Amino acid sequence: MAPFDRRLISHLSWPLILFTLVLFALGVMNLYSASSLRVETGVTTIFFYKKQLVWGAVGFVVMFACMVFDYRHLKSLVWTLYALSVGLLAWLLLFGEQIYGAKRWISLRYVSFQPTELAKLSILLLTAAYLSGIQEKLDWPRLCKLVALVLVPTTMIILQPDLGSGLNILLIIFGMVLVKGLKKRVFLSLLVGLPLLAPSGWFFLHDYQKERILTFLNPERDPLGSGYNIIQSQIAIGSGQMWGKGFLAGTQSQLRFLPEKHTDFVFAVFGEEWGFIGCLLLLSLFCIFLYQIVLTAQESKDQFGAFLSAGVFFYFFWQILINMAMVLGLMPVVGIPLPFLSYGGSSTIINFCLVGLVLNVSMRRFVFKRG
Amino acid sequence: MANGEQLNNKAGITLMQLLVLGLFFLIALRLWYFQIYNGQEYARKATDNLIQQQSIYAPRGLIRDRDGTILAENKPAYGLAIIREDSRDIEAALRQASQWTEVPLQEVREKFKAGKERVKPFKRQLLIRNLDYQTLAEIETHLMEWPEFRIITLPLRHYPHGRVVSHILGYVAQADEKELQNNPELQLGDTIGKQGLELSFQEALRGDKGLKQLEVNAQGRELKNSIIEEPVPGKDLTLTIDLDLQQHAWEQLGNHTGVVVVLEPFSGDIQALVSKPAYNNNLFVQGIDQETWHGLLSDPDHPLQNRAIQSSYPPGSVFKLVVAPCALNNGAVTPEKEFFCPGHYKLGRRVFRCWRKGGHGWMDMREAIKQSCDVYFYKVGEKLGVDAISAYARKYGFNAKTGINLPNENPGLIPSKEWKLRRFGRRWQGGETLNLSIGQGYTLVTPLQVARHLGALVNGGYLLKPNLIEDAEPTVQQELPLKQSERDMVIQSMLAAVEEPHGTCWRLRTKNATVGGKTGTAQVVKLKEEDREKETEEIRYKFRDHAWMASFAQQGKQTYVVVVLIEHGGHGSSAAGPVAKAVFDHLFSKE
Repeated sequence: MAPFDRRLISHLSWPLILFTLVLFALGVMNLYSASSLRVETGVTTIFFYKKQLVWGAVGFVVMFACMVFDYRHLKSLVWTLYALSVGLLAWLLLFGEQIYGAKRWISLRYVSFQPTELAKLSILLLTAAYLSGIQEKLDWPRLCKLVALVLVPTTMIILQPDLGSGLNILLIIFGMVLVKGLKKRVFLSLLVGLPLLAPSGWFFLHDYQKERILTFLNPERDPLGSGYNIIQSQIAIGSGQMWGKGFLAGTQSQLRFLPEKHTDFVFAVFGEEWGFIGCLLLLSLFCIFLYQIVLTAQESKDQFGAFLSAGVFFYFFWQILINMAMVLGLMPVVGIPLPFLSYGGSSTIINFCLVGLVLNVSMRRFVFKRG
Repeated sequence: MANGEQLNNKAGITLMQLLVLGLFFLIALRLWYFQIYNGQEYARKATDNLIQQQSIYAPRGLIRDRDGTILAENKPAYGLAIIREDSRDIEAALRQASQWTEVPLQEVREKFKAGKERVKPFKRQLLIRNLDYQTLAEIETHLMEWPEFRIITLPLRHYPHGRVVSHILGYVAQADEKELQNNPELQLGDTIGKQGLELSFQEALRGDKGLKQLEVNAQGRELKNSIIEEPVPGKDLTLTIDLDLQQHAWEQLGNHTGVVVVLEPFSGDIQALVSKPAYNNNLFVQGIDQETWHGLLSDPDHPLQNRAIQSSYPPGSVFKLVVAPCALNNGAVTPEKEFFCPGHYKLGRRVFRCWRKGGHGWMDMREAIKQSCDVYFYKVGEKLGVDAISAYARKYGFNAKTGINLPNENPGLIPSKEWKLRRFGRRWQGGETLNLSIGQGYTLVTPLQVARHLGALVNGGYLLKPNLIEDAEPTVQQELPLKQSERDMVIQSMLAAVEEPHGTCWRLRTKNATVGGKTGTAQVVKLKEEDREKETEEIRYKFRDHAWMASFAQQGKQTYVVVVLIEHGGHGSSAAGPVAKAVFDHLFSKE
């Protein structure tokens, strides 16, 4: 390990750490409200927010762990990580236990863990390494090679079935590829071809997924079933109006008209209690957070760092966009959480881990003249 | 080298910056649309969510007898309901419910599953009805630990007199899946009339539910509780039934299977309508268990059947009250025309017997009715032919429902040539006309039809709709095609049957009352020659004849028609006669 360099500290992106922590803190506060459960005698809270604090602490440690080594060492590890993820996913498909109709979890002694998260990370790193090794814009053969590499684990994830995560990965890679740039011919054919291909995807969807899309198009067709979430979450957010109903005072959230309110629909709880002003503030925080990552990508001294940051950018960008759009009725219901606000162990830790990687890139943007 | 790797994709960075900007504006605009532009609308919907509406049960109308004695009432009962959204663990809750109430867990689960679809989120779903007080007390003490449970009050129908009036009242029971589907106003757990008057007067008795509005705050506490719509109680019914009389007639039947109808001939009002055996209608209200239900269905005595209107029997000699005026009306015979009864009548190679082995000798119409001579009526019937009798009997209201306000009435059957051809594809036989003329063979009537017919004889020829509801205007359904002289003839013969020597109804003789009657003995199967010699007691029960007594009596201003039928009772006079006599005694003792 290189001797400690004071510049590492001075170049660290302090704003990114700050905004990460602020978002996480808001998330815990919001979960506190979303955790309350109505009983006859009043409100009791269950422990989502406490557990989330624990996950956050673990995540924070992981974040530091992701900062101490030089991120460029990861370049040599990408294939190992990739192989490990594919192996785990395959094992899961073959021997995994079904929980809630899907094979997503590997249960270790004390914690269960989703290989999907590891797969996301390893695909992201592999793509960053792959793209950084290419000087010019992507042509067909290089793009196809990348797509093939990405599709192997992604298909296995979709088969779990976890369509949300699968699409999430594809979108991240898609974003990174756009940042890299495509040869004009490739770009134009994709521009025409992809929209034509999309409808054929309908036939690969499970019934419940089709149901969600149909319900998205018309929530009233099933007001007590799958449309219920959408309708109730929109009522929650809309009824927040300008200033919100106040902390712990959201009737939709507190009376449990909102299902999934601590996970995918957590934004609805926030919207109801903090109103338009609070939501704009939260949205601004997310945007500044994202912008910090873009800055890191821009100032990175090497391509790998830049694409790594871009990958992390899209990882968060798509989740924020899709989750908010879903809760706001702009998209069908897909199981994608809102970073730092939704409850969840795996996702919280990986979020911190990815922020750590970006910080790693930012710390080392002016050093390593020796390469 | 690091410097040489300066990013060559400025465009990529710009793309990401634009995406951030786009994200901000897209979401901000959508938020504005929801929270500012449509904010008030959503706020109103959120408030609507806080308002829970509960319906208030309307008390079902009471049913009383003519003296005001309560026959059907409502008692408060308690049920256990669950609100699914208040439950953290439905399975545990169902287990607990099963433990409290001792209803098997499987049954509770099934009830929960079946009802789930019918109950909206946050509404109370009735799980178990009719908690007894001990269970209720136990649940109440633990209710705090189980936020999903609610105790709800439901009115429970109660019939204090059980079997004695069960066929008239019928019963209410929980609406089944089909009824719930057909009537959106019904909620899970609601009861509706399923049989008897409870069914035919369901609309009047049920009343209209009220609506209560509960407003809760974010903590789920009730803020306001207001009644939006008061429930409208169901209308009470007062019947023409006299419970004392009904009870008395019930007792007089003893262990017999049978029917007693007491009818006021000038109004059509029914004072007693007993069908025995009967069932305990309270069993159905509380939800009858499968075993009891199948027991009732498979009981050879058919206790669920209201024999007075739902069973039809061969009328036997009672039918002579139709054939005799028919013969006069057709001019087939005059009242004075005499036929000789040697005890049997030969038609072709078949021998038709008179009930009196030795024969009655020379008989005119009055004597033939009085002594119920079969041979006389064989000869009259032969002259008339089946279709004349059949057409005439239909004018007396046979072969048609009486229109009483009770469900599932049996119309009975009066055969005709055409009917037989249609039903069996065979031609009518001459012998069958002879059977018809003494009320045997295919002929079937209900006891209530006979009572209505007798009522018309007594009241001057008006067939009135039998009525169970007090103060109903009498409804004339038909006028009998009966001349005064013909009517006198029939009535005089019936009086003679009671008062004169050799009359078949001597058992009805009552002091200070004018009584007329006609017996009937309806063959169940054709008895073999050797069985005819036996006394009734020796013939196996199910082969014994049904015993009829159709009678009327007048004392002062009171006139009543009493029809008694005893299944497998043997001879009409000996089996049914004493019951009718006891009923008259009761009726006239009240003065």
